[in-house]
Amino acid sequence: MKNFWNKIYDWFNSRLDLQDVVGFIGKKYVPVHRHSVWYYFGGVSLFLFIIQVITGILLLFYYKGSSDLAFESIQFIMSKVEFGWLIRSIHSWAANLFILAAFIHMFSVYFSRAYRKPREITWLTGMLMFFLALAFGFSGYLLPWNELAFFATKVGTDIMTAIPFIGTPIMEFMRGGEDVTGATLSRLFGFHVALFPGIFTVLLAVHLILVQRQGMSVPIDMENIPADEKKTMPFFPNFLLRDLLLWLLVLNVLAILAVFFPAHLGEKADMFAPSPEGIKPEWYFLFMFQTLKYIPAQVLFIDGEILGILLFGAAGLLWTLVPFWDRRSAKGQSSRFVTYLGLFAVIFIIVFTIVGWLA
Amino acid sequence: MKTFITMISIFILFQPNLFAQETKDQCYNCHSALGDKVSTGFQNDIHFQKGISCAACHGGNSRSDDMSVSMSKSSGFKGIPKGNQKSESCIVCHSNSDMMSKYGSKLVTNQNELLSRSVHGKSSIKSNENIIQCIDCHSVHGILPKTHRRSSVNPINIPKTCSKCHGSAVFMRLYNPSLPVDQNEKYLTSQHGILNKRGDSKVAECASCHGSHDILSASDVRSKVHPVNLPHTCSKCHSDAKYMKGYKIPTNQFERFAKSVHGKALLEKKDASAPACNSCHGNHGAIPPGIESISKVCGSCHALNAELFSVSPHKKIFDEQKIPECESCHGNHYIETATNKLLGVSSEAVCSKCHTENKNVKGYKVARTMRYLIDSLDSASKYADSLINSAEQRGMEVSDAKFKLRDANQAKLEAKTMVHSFDEEKFKEVVEGKGLAVTNFVIVEGKAAFDNYFFRRYGLVIFILIITFLSIVLYLYIKKLDKKYLKT
Amino acid sequence: MNDKGHLPEERRTFLKYLIGGGLIGFAGSVLYPLFAFLKPPKQADVEVTSASAGKLSEFEKGTGKIVRFGNKPLLVIRMPNGEVKAFSATCTHFDCTVQYKKDLEIIWCACHNGKYDLNGKNIAGPPPRPLDEYRVVMKGDEILISKKA
Repeated sequence: MKNFWNKIYDWFNSRLDLQDVVGFIGKKYVPVHRHSVWYYFGGVSLFLFIIQVITGILLLFYYKGSSDLAFESIQFIMSKVEFGWLIRSIHSWAANLFILAAFIHMFSVYFSRAYRKPREITWLTGMLMFFLALAFGFSGYLLPWNELAFFATKVGTDIMTAIPFIGTPIMEFMRGGEDVTGATLSRLFGFHVALFPGIFTVLLAVHLILVQRQGMSVPIDMENIPADEKKTMPFFPNFLLRDLLLWLLVLNVLAILAVFFPAHLGEKADMFAPSPEGIKPEWYFLFMFQTLKYIPAQVLFIDGEILGILLFGAAGLLWTLVPFWDRRSAKGQSSRFVTYLGLFAVIFIIVFTIVGWLA
Repeated sequence: MKTFITMISIFILFQPNLFAQETKDQCYNCHSALGDKVSTGFQNDIHFQKGISCAACHGGNSRSDDMSVSMSKSSGFKGIPKGNQKSESCIVCHSNSDMMSKYGSKLVTNQNELLSRSVHGKSSIKSNENIIQCIDCHSVHGILPKTHRRSSVNPINIPKTCSKCHGSAVFMRLYNPSLPVDQNEKYLTSQHGILNKRGDSKVAECASCHGSHDILSASDVRSKVHPVNLPHTCSKCHSDAKYMKGYKIPTNQFERFAKSVHGKALLEKKDASAPACNSCHGNHGAIPPGIESISKVCGSCHALNAELFSVSPHKKIFDEQKIPECESCHGNHYIETATNKLLGVSSEAVCSKCHTENKNVKGYKVARTMRYLIDSLDSASKYADSLINSAEQRGMEVSDAKFKLRDANQAKLEAKTMVHSFDEEKFKEVVEGKGLAVTNFVIVEGKAAFDNYFFRRYGLVIFILIITFLSIVLYLYIKKLDKKYLKT
Repeated sequence: MNDKGHLPEERRTFLKYLIGGGLIGFAGSVLYPLFAFLKPPKQADVEVTSASAGKLSEFEKGTGKIVRFGNKPLLVIRMPNGEVKAFSATCTHFDCTVQYKKDLEIIWCACHNGKYDLNGKNIAGPPPRPLDEYRVVMKGDEILISKKA
């Protein structure tokens, strides 16, 4: 058996010269310390993304992206296609878990200052992927063309108009017109299955290559531990197998969720019906949505909604550029300000998500 | 002697002015001496008998016999009233309860108020005048109390009074060209009309149903003859056992109707499309439908049932044996919602009234089969319904099957209608061909949904077992590798 | 790949067999649903339930048919003059399904003899309201129905 695999390896190696790569991978080590559990979340995010790609491609075999067939095609998948309910429910749940894992991964990287030199580009590509994940969620949500999705999209794109000058053009670009129609569906479908995956794949490739080349970052206070006291684990096979074990458990969780909480469909969207009361976006947008509700309509001379959006935009920008303004981390020091800012962000998000959910 | 007395009496009776007593009313004195028709008529008028003078309506001074005084403008003489003036003279007293009691009258005093709100109180084609004045119905210079046999508003005479306008196409055209003008003609064919012509003042005439001063259009929801109110109007007499004594017809129709499916729809749900008394009995030509025509009357709404019945074997037999159609099985006033109980051969079923094991056996067999079939469709439909609902409750996608269930309900309705063909083959076609075909399909889908529901759960258990097994094995392997690769 | 460790042969092999078996079971339990999913279902394609009423060329003049629109039945009529109209097929009286009567040129409800004209207006019998009309759009030979404007 071993000879068989060796023979295969030799065939490829003699043509592609894989020795160096294999040797490199073989010598990769993952630091082991009390915070190394957080290292797994990048992998979990990756795994969930892969699940999304696979289930997404499978769904593409049966989903139809026009306003008169989208809803029915999903009904079809749920009831007439064997295991269609499973594929769709997994796709729906994995989307939520993917974004959750991405949040956790992002915050753990932030708190451990892993974004500091030399890993700024890794952080930037990661942040861009994070925003793309949210965009994936937003665009995918409309695709069933049900009541909930239709109005969530309407409200969500409406908020764009609050941005001064470019807000309305942005909204019309997103909607493919002035209103949410079949054109919006086609457009978001194109974003969701072609544009976003394409961009994401490029960013992901850069991100992973960088991680491979630069290795795992260690928390600042552990940088100065003497070499012989540093605990490590070979990436291959130890860490990788642990990763795979975790992925197996995540898959298990997905299956349980899919069976006991299958994806909901509801009623087909009716463009002429009035908006139902209490429309809420998905949980990952809820904290922003709820915050906007609390900002008074007029603050000094600025319209409240515009202020809210600008604040969030600024916050996002600030957060994304943290490697560049956190001077201390570049010098190998933890900035307390950064920690507090991060804590504030986490607590803010959690609190407002809960408030938004209960409202 | 007898002859002499008779001749003297006749002579006296025929003296024109013998009853023209000398009264305090100078107007009357003068005019009756002139022998004019008005004052002759006025002699019989109740107002004259109560001592009311001409001046009460015409104005002027009734104590002076000098025309220039009594008929002068300064004394308030109005001459022949025109337009609404004609009624104003009546209103002055008749809307004043003090005035009425002064003359010992127990009459109501709201006639004008009611009239002004009624359909007759609207403007006529002439300007500044209502359609109707008091005297149009009550006549003038000879007004008699309602109870008097010759009064124009005595029940016996009312149809003629109303027909003066309502029977004239030329007149009615001026106000409402689409309103029929044959009501009296129809009325005379009705039981009410026949008795009324014979002099019965107890039976219904125009005012009994339409009201007198407060007449409203039949499409007005406040009207006594609006479909929703009509049964109450009819039952005012027809449910009064004391009043109806001597007419030898039952008085429980309203009570029974109110409990029926038609009554509940009309009286409780206020559904004006439900039949009221006049829908089956007619309004002006009211007479219960004849035995052979009941199905046509019911068939004006229940068209398909009537059609099927008319070509069924029952039609001929019912007519021969003088069995009332529709009513024999469904009742007339107390018509219940038709349930399966009516069909079949049990003691509750109407079929068993004529069809037993030994009598009219062919029909007995058909009735039995039909009941069996419709029961099976009902239970299949119920089962399919509950199956789909519980599958849906469990989160299964069954909207297709749910939609098909509509067809099952439609088939149930069609089956109930098809009963009236009394044709086993046709009935089977509907029940089995349409109804059961759909329910069978839906039941299959429902069961498949349930199977899928359990399949998912069993599948999950197996999957979890495999994963757990693999996880444990993998964990052990990792531990093994750790020993080899990790520096402790 | 490096050499395996110093564990006794049988335990090493046994573990390997267990892993192998577990992996095969896992692969099977993942691949089976995937392939079953890709197998064409009995009803090969999603039925156009809410848009198409079929082809114009297959729709005889002077006939009507019931078409599903979401969860509601619609009565689609091809009039004798060729025009296509679509109405709600649910009678406004007691929810029975109405039908097109070519000879009487009306829409009729068998339950209580309710009649609607070809504009959907209730003209006789108990129905209290007209039938809702739906918009019919021709896309080539296909008849498409959408919600009333």
